[in-house]
Amino acid sequence: MIAVLRGLYAGETVIDFPRWWRVAALASGIALLLSLGSFGLRGLELGIDFAGGTSYEVAAPDASVSDARSLLSRFGADGARIQVVDGDMIRIRSDIDDPARAAEIRDALSTELGPVETFEQVGPTWGDEVTDKAVRALVVFFLVVALYISARLEWKMAAGALAAVAHDIVVSVGVYSLLGVEVTPATVIAFLTIMGYSLYDTIVVYDKVREMTGRLGATERYTYTELMNLALNRVAMRSINTSVTSALPVLSLLMVGSVALGATALREFALALLVGIIVGSYSSLFLAAAMVARLKEGEQRWVQIRSKLAGRGLLDGPTRTIRRDEASAPDSRSSESPGRSKGPARRRPAPAARPGGSGSGTPPRPRKKRRN
Amino acid sequence: MFRRQVVLLVGILVVSAAASALTLLWHNEPLLGLDLQGGVSVRLTASEPATEEMLDQSVEIIRNRVDALGVAEPEISRTVDGVMVSLPGVDDQERALELVGTTAELRFRPVCEVLPVAIAGTRGSEGSGNMAAEPFASCNLVRGGTIRPATGDDGLTPPEADIAEDFVILGGSGTGSTGGYRYVLAPTVLTGDALEDADADFIDFRWQVGVTLEKGAAGIDVFNDASARCFRGDESCPQLPGYTNGLIAIVLDGEVITAPQIRASGFERDRIVISGSFEKQEAEDVALALRYGALPVELVAENTRVVSATIGQDSLDAGIVAGLVGLLLVALFIVGYYRLLGLVAMASLAVSGSMLWSIVAHLGTQSGLALTLAGITGIIVAVGVSVDSNVVYFEHLKEDIRDGRTARSAVDRAFPIAFATIVKADTASLIGAALLWWLTVGAVRGFAFYLGLATILDLVATYFFMGPMVRVLARTSWFAQRPSLFGLPASGAVVRPELKASTP
Repeated sequence: MIAVLRGLYAGETVIDFPRWWRVAALASGIALLLSLGSFGLRGLELGIDFAGGTSYEVAAPDASVSDARSLLSRFGADGARIQVVDGDMIRIRSDIDDPARAAEIRDALSTELGPVETFEQVGPTWGDEVTDKAVRALVVFFLVVALYISARLEWKMAAGALAAVAHDIVVSVGVYSLLGVEVTPATVIAFLTIMGYSLYDTIVVYDKVREMTGRLGATERYTYTELMNLALNRVAMRSINTSVTSALPVLSLLMVGSVALGATALREFALALLVGIIVGSYSSLFLAAAMVARLKEGEQRWVQIRSKLAGRGLLDGPTRTIRRDEASAPDSRSSESPGRSKGPARRRPAPAARPGGSGSGTPPRPRKKRRN
Repeated sequence: MFRRQVVLLVGILVVSAAASALTLLWHNEPLLGLDLQGGVSVRLTASEPATEEMLDQSVEIIRNRVDALGVAEPEISRTVDGVMVSLPGVDDQERALELVGTTAELRFRPVCEVLPVAIAGTRGSEGSGNMAAEPFASCNLVRGGTIRPATGDDGLTPPEADIAEDFVILGGSGTGSTGGYRYVLAPTVLTGDALEDADADFIDFRWQVGVTLEKGAAGIDVFNDASARCFRGDESCPQLPGYTNGLIAIVLDGEVITAPQIRASGFERDRIVISGSFEKQEAEDVALALRYGALPVELVAENTRVVSATIGQDSLDAGIVAGLVGLLLVALFIVGYYRLLGLVAMASLAVSGSMLWSIVAHLGTQSGLALTLAGITGIIVAVGVSVDSNVVYFEHLKEDIRDGRTARSAVDRAFPIAFATIVKADTASLIGAALLWWLTVGAVRGFAFYLGLATILDLVATYFFMGPMVRVLARTSWFAQRPSLFGLPASGAVVRPELKASTP
């Protein structure tokens, strides 16, 4: 593990990603099945913002759950969920959506148990409205992002990115469904954040892939998958770093929310985010990349390269590693043909502009080993 | 080329320093949402289809009621089918809920006495023996002291004791001609239900308010009974000093809107005219108050949210502590990994952070845009994205150096490429944030706004600060000689001869 990290740190190709893709596909398939199954059978525990109802938080250090329950049953709210949070706060959730009754209970709670610190009452139609809007926003978001990625990168990458994002969302929802954690607006925000992270990560990975295929594709010495593997190894350290720096604030939300102060909402939110960040990085490197490799290998150009290389018996065994000196070879001939430099990311360094080379066009001296 | 970098660098530092300075100078402070400082928010929907005009008027009426609570930044706005009321930091949450929720009743009450405004320090009194009063009870009961209306410290009957069947003492509405008096009022003789319409008319070169009442016993008959008594100065509606006839006060929300003198013993048609020295605006306001005495539509509390000040404070503390601890962890990691470049990343974060603070404070003070817990999470999330921009660039740098470039040339070459990647990825975030802002409601919207804002500022800080800063650093001799200080691999392969020569 340490050796792998050290290799990645040194910018070497140490992980055979394509070999792991099959494992990842299997793992994700199982996770998706579990998630969908749980969602279908158990559904989601919807909070009052979506289902309608009333919630109270009462600061009552001396009262017990049964005190609260007997009070509620006087008002015919027997089905309420009552729990004690942080030792001195009673949290009550009931499906009462009639404002007048909700207010009566609130008055009773504050006179008999203790001050009502938060009170929330949501009518039955509001939740539908919120859900409708969120779903619509999600659909529009998918469409627009698909168009954007198609325009800036290519449609195959858009398909891969959206598949990865969809995977992340389904798995996150599945985790919520399996654990029976309540879905609140904060949860929706967490899901959206997960989507954002995942997409962001995937785009950074794809950009690297394009850089590599653009630069080395023209040599016709490597398959798309091999080039993809090179790009993934080069971008892996960034993905790890970014995941760590993104996860650190979330971890602190988790710690502060659960240990130091009584902000339970923060804790639930942070948990969802943490899962999402990890799943998001994973899906960018394993799923989004694998899907694009699959689609691209079907293109005539890459099929030809593959069959040519296979004929020479180069494709047996694990994915070939592209050495650094090969990878940084100048590509004065041409780059990937359809890539007429759609984005500013594409560049074709003129040999003359190379540093160190005094205009002679000699490639930079390859370095086999890092010295420290 | 180098000069341009320095200009960008100085420019962004001046801008962010100036923004911070102005924020401090103007005492701009972020406005905290109700989940961070406690408060009340209620979403009301009309129980029947309502026109935009009706909802606008409801907003106005609720705003007037809420003003009495002294909330710093009440937010009352019209939604598609109702009214949204948000009162962050309101102290008396019970009263706020009552004020917002109830549809106030318009009451017609004969005036027993007109008093000046109470002198400061007046002691309030409990009401006494008030229960037996009925419509057209004699004013002598209260003038003689048999019945004493309940009063508060301001000499007025508090809202909770303002009962239709009781004698009360109420003030005039602040702005109109009734302002500055206290009215001792008899029990209600007629309510807003009896009113059919009211409008402001310009007749005989004066502004007047025409009032149409319901026909028969539900309206005009009762009013004629009252006006007959007031016209002759009956003891239920006495003639007051300075007036020739009795007065009937029209009361809304515990305030006397207008108290016209009754100049006729009866009205033949169902229409009465209140004339007086009305300004145009005042006549319109009175007509509006009469017409929509209560709210123009019945509003039902669809969502109610009450957060106590303690919980708000706890959440705020948690958010701030979590943010600071998270920032510290990120700083430790990134500086440990990238050394001096890590410091650049943290400085870049400070630049975008100071601009973000200025904007949030400005919007909070000027536009009343509140920072909520969702917003804070949006910002914490953006910290991750922001640091990533640096990571993308630094990793590119390392890659180029490993490919055999000198540190200095890698710096120039890698930035445009890395920045293009950052723009692509940030654009996707921005698209998401913008769509969420447009298409959703509530907490998600706040999150989207602050995420989008922080993302834009990340682009700004990356382009104007981080890029130029690294290029300026690259000019130092340390950069080439001690790459490990910058967390970069040694570019031993291609050290330019002249650089070698310069080292002793």
